[in-house]
Amino acid sequence: MAELDAIARLRALAAGLPGVVLEERVIDAPFDEVWGFVADLETSVPAFDDTVSRVRVVRAEGERLRIHSWARGVPVPLPFDVTLRPGWAWMVASPQVYVVGMAAVPTGNRTRFGHLEGPLRGGPPVRRLGRGPLRRHVRGDLDGIERSLAARRRRDGTGPG
Amino acid sequence: MTPGPDPDLVRRAQRGDAAALERLLDELLPYAGRICGAVALDAGDDALQETMVAVMRNIRSVRDPAAVRAWVRRIAVREAVRAARGGRDVPADPADLDGYGGPAPARVVPDGATAVEVRAVLADLPPEQRAVLVLRDLDGLGEAEMAEVLGVAPGTVKSRLNRARAAFRTRWTS
Repeated sequence: MAELDAIARLRALAAGLPGVVLEERVIDAPFDEVWGFVADLETSVPAFDDTVSRVRVVRAEGERLRIHSWARGVPVPLPFDVTLRPGWAWMVASPQVYVVGMAAVPTGNRTRFGHLEGPLRGGPPVRRLGRGPLRRHVRGDLDGIERSLAARRRRDGTGPG
Repeated sequence: MTPGPDPDLVRRAQRGDAAALERLLDELLPYAGRICGAVALDAGDDALQETMVAVMRNIRSVRDPAAVRAWVRRIAVREAVRAARGGRDVPADPADLDGYGGPAPARVVPDGATAVEVRAVLADLPPEQRAVLVLRDLDGLGEAEMAEVLGVAPGTVKSRLNRARAAFRTRWTS
């Protein structure tokens, strides 16, 4: 039986959501280290996304979570319904105005990471948000994940080589 | 045959509901994965990727949400045959696939055959022949449905199926 890994799942979903941007890169850290950081959404998202000031998990039932995410400078949180399992995070704003996806698969001692974001049909028009700025934002998040992982390694004294 | 996804879930996905799209992907993956794996073999994962990208991209074009499983089957077979042929759409030698007039064995795979043995013999057949065997013997389709999925005349399906079964049996007993 053929299978899709998490990155391939993310590519398929991106094909069904015309407003989103998907970026992929190989992160120079093992899967367990990368996902161990990313999966702790309350800590990781404000660390790697400079537009988010705070995230709180308000409900967790198995792999289904409800989180509140505060954009920087905005006092009211935006709720997201989240599917979270090893190598996979799918976060849909409620109401459905925005979607965020993250996927990771091990590749040797490194990690292939995919990150998707964008407005949904009920959200702001893509042209107003701008595809270029959205792509820069998604790349910025990936930069932030790499920076955060490097900082954790320095702090824990587990840097490579 | 198991029913397809809930039509309401399909309708929500068609409206761009991102949560419904994720659930629909999960529900369709095992079925599409079985077709792609059986027809495309080692290229099955690539075929499945292309299938699910096409399914997600075009889900809005499905007029009858209750028929989404048949629609996915058609895409999966097409992508699996293409992937098995290294990206080519046209069979290398169509004459080799059709025109068989011999008897049709009632049962292709003998009792006690292991999946590994069956796979090894299937790998020896052209992907179009694997596709008819999968559609008929694993998916239980009739000739008219198979013709619709494969985009060929019912008579062509019949001869292709006979030829596939004969080819399988010959390799199995050799």
